[in-house]
Amino acid sequence: MEYRSILGERGSMVGDDVAKDLRILELVDDILGRNRDEFLRELYLEPLSREETAVFRLMVFQDLMTNDVYKMVEGFVERIRESERLIQLKEEAYDQHKVGLHLDAALTYIDAVESFYNGLRAIGPRSEGLKQFLNYLEQVINSPYFRSMKERAREAKEARDRIIIKVRFVEDGVKVSKYNGDGEDLTALVERTFSIFKDGNGEEVKWIKSTGDMTHIHAAILEGAFRFYREEYETLRRFMEDFPTVIDEGVRSFAREVEFYLTYLRYMRRIMERGYTFSIPSFTRDGSMHVKGFYNLLLVKAGKAVVSNDIDTDGARRIFVITGMNSGGKTTFAISLGQLAYLSTLGLPVPAVEARLPFFTSIMTAFPTEEDPRESLSRLEHDVVRALNIIKRANDTTLVIANELFSTTTSDEGFQLSKLFLSELSNRRSYCLFITFIPKVASLEFTISLVAMPSPEDPEKPSYRIIPGPPPKEYMAVRIAAKHQLLYDDLRRVVK
Amino acid sequence: MIQFDLLRMGDSSKISIADDLRVDLELDKIIAVASNGDKLISETWSNMLLLRDSSEDVMRYRQEAVRDALANRDVIIKMYSIARDTIERVKRDVFILLLRTDDPPAVARETSRGIRILLDGLEEMLTLLKSSPSFSSTAFRGFVSSFTANINDQFISSARGVASIFDTSRENITFSVKIGSSNYLKDPVLLVPREGDSFLSRILSLGKEYTYKLDPRDEAGPRIIYDIKKWVLHRSATVLLRSFNSMMKFFEDLMRQLSFYVGVINMSDFFARIGLPQTYPEVNPGVFAFKDLHCLSLATSTSSKPIPSTLSINASDSFAILITGANRGGKTTFLKAIGQALLLARAGIFVPAESFTIPTPGAVYTHFLRGEDRALSYGKFEEEVKRFRGFANFLRRGDFVLMDESFSSTNPIEASVVAENVVSALVDSGVNVAYVTFLQDFIYNFTRRYGERAVLLVPERLKSGERTFRLVRGSLQPGYAMDLWVKLSSNPSKEQH
Repeated sequence: MEYRSILGERGSMVGDDVAKDLRILELVDDILGRNRDEFLRELYLEPLSREETAVFRLMVFQDLMTNDVYKMVEGFVERIRESERLIQLKEEAYDQHKVGLHLDAALTYIDAVESFYNGLRAIGPRSEGLKQFLNYLEQVINSPYFRSMKERAREAKEARDRIIIKVRFVEDGVKVSKYNGDGEDLTALVERTFSIFKDGNGEEVKWIKSTGDMTHIHAAILEGAFRFYREEYETLRRFMEDFPTVIDEGVRSFAREVEFYLTYLRYMRRIMERGYTFSIPSFTRDGSMHVKGFYNLLLVKAGKAVVSNDIDTDGARRIFVITGMNSGGKTTFAISLGQLAYLSTLGLPVPAVEARLPFFTSIMTAFPTEEDPRESLSRLEHDVVRALNIIKRANDTTLVIANELFSTTTSDEGFQLSKLFLSELSNRRSYCLFITFIPKVASLEFTISLVAMPSPEDPEKPSYRIIPGPPPKEYMAVRIAAKHQLLYDDLRRVVK
Repeated sequence: MIQFDLLRMGDSSKISIADDLRVDLELDKIIAVASNGDKLISETWSNMLLLRDSSEDVMRYRQEAVRDALANRDVIIKMYSIARDTIERVKRDVFILLLRTDDPPAVARETSRGIRILLDGLEEMLTLLKSSPSFSSTAFRGFVSSFTANINDQFISSARGVASIFDTSRENITFSVKIGSSNYLKDPVLLVPREGDSFLSRILSLGKEYTYKLDPRDEAGPRIIYDIKKWVLHRSATVLLRSFNSMMKFFEDLMRQLSFYVGVINMSDFFARIGLPQTYPEVNPGVFAFKDLHCLSLATSTSSKPIPSTLSINASDSFAILITGANRGGKTTFLKAIGQALLLARAGIFVPAESFTIPTPGAVYTHFLRGEDRALSYGKFEEEVKRFRGFANFLRRGDFVLMDESFSSTNPIEASVVAENVVSALVDSGVNVAYVTFLQDFIYNFTRRYGERAVLLVPERLKSGERTFRLVRGSLQPGYAMDLWVKLSSNPSKEQH
C-alpha cells in the first residue's frame, strides 16, 4: 500500500492582489510564527479548487481539535524529527559514535511509530485522512524488516548499557580502563563532610562547553571502552550494518505534511487564549451564507479591541453594500470576511462562532491603489478596468470584495458605474461586499444594505458594529459643524 | 547547622514609610553615633529601628541581650572582629568573581581555598568561646551552645582534608562513566584519587589500561578535556560552592547580628560621655509616661544634653496628644523625642530618659509637613492626603501616628474638618496620635469631645514671659480672639502700629 497524502491534494497559488488586499501574507506570517518553513508557507498560500479536498482537511482538523489526538500527533512528529536529526549527525561523526547514533535513531523511530499507532488506534480517528494513515502504519509495523530491526535494537541497547569505564586525565592524555566499582564517590564525601553547612536552596554551578560531545577525545574514550567491551561493540556495529534504513518514506512524508495542521492549531490556540473562537466551516449548496460572530485575526494579534460581526443571506440577494461613518470598521469587516472565506478554501477552521458559507472557487478584490504617475490610466480608469476583469471571471462561487470603487468621480457617475458593476455581478449570481460612500447604491433592489453604526454612548465614536439597515440620515461632519455652530442658521445669526 | 538568633527580627518587614520616618525623626544622626563609621552597623541599626513588628517578648529578649553585650563587651567586640576579618580574608584571597562563572574546575579550586580560610575562622572562634566567661542572656547562650555542638576540632581537621583534594595542583581527575544514547558519555562519578598508586600496582595495571596520548599539535584536545572536566566536576563544585556559601553566610549572619550589639556598645559610650540617663523601657498597658526624656538626635548634633520633657498619661484607651502654641517652643523636638524613644524601645535598646513606659510596642508612623513653601494649594493638599492614605492601610491598633502640622496646606477651617475626621477615626480605632497643630477649630472640638483621651500641650511660659522650651498641659480659651477684638477695637491706635 502506498502512502496517501494527509493533505489530500495541493491547491494553486493565490493571486497577488488578493494576498495584498486581504493581508493574507501578514496572516500567514502570524500563522507560521517563528517557523520559517517555505514548504508550509506555500501550502497556506494555495487555495483549493475542490470542495471535497477542503472537507477532507477539515475532517482531519476535527480529529486534531481533540487534545489527545493533537498531543499524540505532535509528539509523533517531534520524535520522527529527532530520529532524522540523529541520522544526519551520523554523517559526520566518528565511527565510535556512528554505531550509537544509528541505534538511537532506530530506537526513537521504533518507539514513535509503535506508540503512535497504538495510541491513535485506541482513540479511533474519524477522519479519512488519519484512518488512511493508521492503515498504512499497521503495514509498516507488521513488516518483517521493522520487526527484526526492533528485536536487534533492543539487544544492541542492552549491550551498550553494560559498559562502565574508569577515565583518568593525565598530563598528556587520557587513560581508560574497565571500572570494577572500587572507587569512592568524591562528591558524596564532600557532601557528607560539610553536611552541617548544607545550603537548602543553594545555587547550581553552571558549565558551558565550548566544544562538542562527539569529538576525537570522546571517540578516544569510547575506543578505550570498546577495547574492554569487544562483544558489546560488535553487537552495535552489526546492528548498523544489517539495518541501514531506519525511517520509512511514507512516515517521513506524513511527519512533514501534518505540520500544516499542527502549525495552524498552535496558531488557533494562541488566538483562543485571548477568548476568541474558531469553528469548522460548513459549505452550503443553496447559495445561503450565515456567518456569526466573525472577527479580525490581525487585530486580535495586535492586541486591539476587537468587535465581532454577523453576515446573513438566504442566497436570493448576494450583493452587500456597506455604508456609514468614517473609520466605522467597514474595511475591517470586509477584510475579515474575505480572510474567513479564504481560510475556508484552504480547508482551515475559521475565526467565527459559526460559519456556513458557499465554497468559493475564487475570491477577488478591488481596493484603492496609489495613483502611479508613470501610468497613463487614471484611477477611475483603473477602477473600470479592474471591475470589468472581475466581471469576466465571476461566477456563482465567486466572492468579490470592493472598497471605494468609482470614488474619484461625481457621486452620480459613481452610482451609475456601481450599478452597472453590481448588477452584472448579481446576474452572475456572484457574492460581493461593496464599500461605498454613495448612499444611493444601497437602494438598488438586488442589494442588501449594511451600515456601520455609531457607538450608543457617544454618537461621535464608532461601535465597529456593521448591521443591516438603511444608510444613516445624519452625517457626522454635519453634526460636528453644528456643535461648533457653523451650520447655516448659526452663520446667519453671526454674520450680520 | 549552627542555629542562632541574636535579634529575633522574625519575618517582619520594614515599615512601609521607612524613608519618611528616617528623615522626619532624624534617625541618621542616631545611627551615625551607633555605627561610628561602620557601614554594617549602620545598616543593621537602620533595619532594626524601622521594623514593622515588635512585641513585648521581643523587646525583653533583646533588652536582656543588650545588657549581656554591655557586660561582656570585649568578647562581643572580639567575636565581631573574628567574623569581619575572616570575611575580609576570603574576599581578598578568593577570586569571588570566578565563582559566578561557568567553570566548575575554577569554582572547585577557589571555593576549596575559601573554605580553608573559613575553617581557620571557625577554629579561632571556637578557641575564643572555649575560654570566655559565660554569657547570661538567652540569645548569646543559645549561640554558644549551638556553635560548640556543631563545630569541634575533628570537624575542622576532616574538612581541611577534603578541601585540600581540590587544590590547584590536582588537575588530574579520575571518574567513572557510562555510555548513553548517541554514545554520549553519561553519569560521570568523580572518584577520590588514589594516593598510594605504587610502582607495583602500576606495573600490574599495564595492558589493563588504554592510553590515548595527545598530539602536541592538537590544540583542540586540551580544550575538550577541560570541557569534560567541567562536566565531571560540576556536581562537586556545586556542593563545594554551597558549603562555601553556607559557611560564608554563617559568618555574615553572625557579623550582621553582632553589629547591632557593637552599635549598642557605641551608643552606651555616647550616653555616658554626654551624661544622658539610660533606661530600659517598660510596657504597661494603660500607661504612657516618661520622665526627663531627651531628644536623642538633638543630643547628637549638639553633643550636649537637651532640655528634657516629662509626661504621664493614663492610657487605658488610645489617646491623642495635641501640641500647639508659639513657634520655637520645642514642639517638633518633643515630637521627635517621643518618636525616637518609641523606635529605640521597640528595638530593645535603652532610651535617654529617667523612665519610659509605653502601653504597647506599636509601630510608629510620621506625617510631617514637607518643604518650606507655606502657600496654600489644593495640589499640595492632595499630595498630603495621598501621603496619609499611603500608610493608613497598614495601621493597626496600638500603633502611633506622629503628625507635624498635617493638613496645613489648605485653609484652617476646612483643614480642621479633615483633621477632626482623621484624628477621631485613628483614636477610635485604637491608634495613638501625637499632633503638632495650629488648627484651632480642630483642637477645640476634639478636646471637648474626647475629654481625658485628648491631652493638650503648650510651651511653658513663665510669669515673666520667659520661655522654658518645656511643654506643659494647657487649655484653649475660646473667646480669646473675641476678647482681643474687643481689646483692639477699643484701642485702635495699637492696631495701626
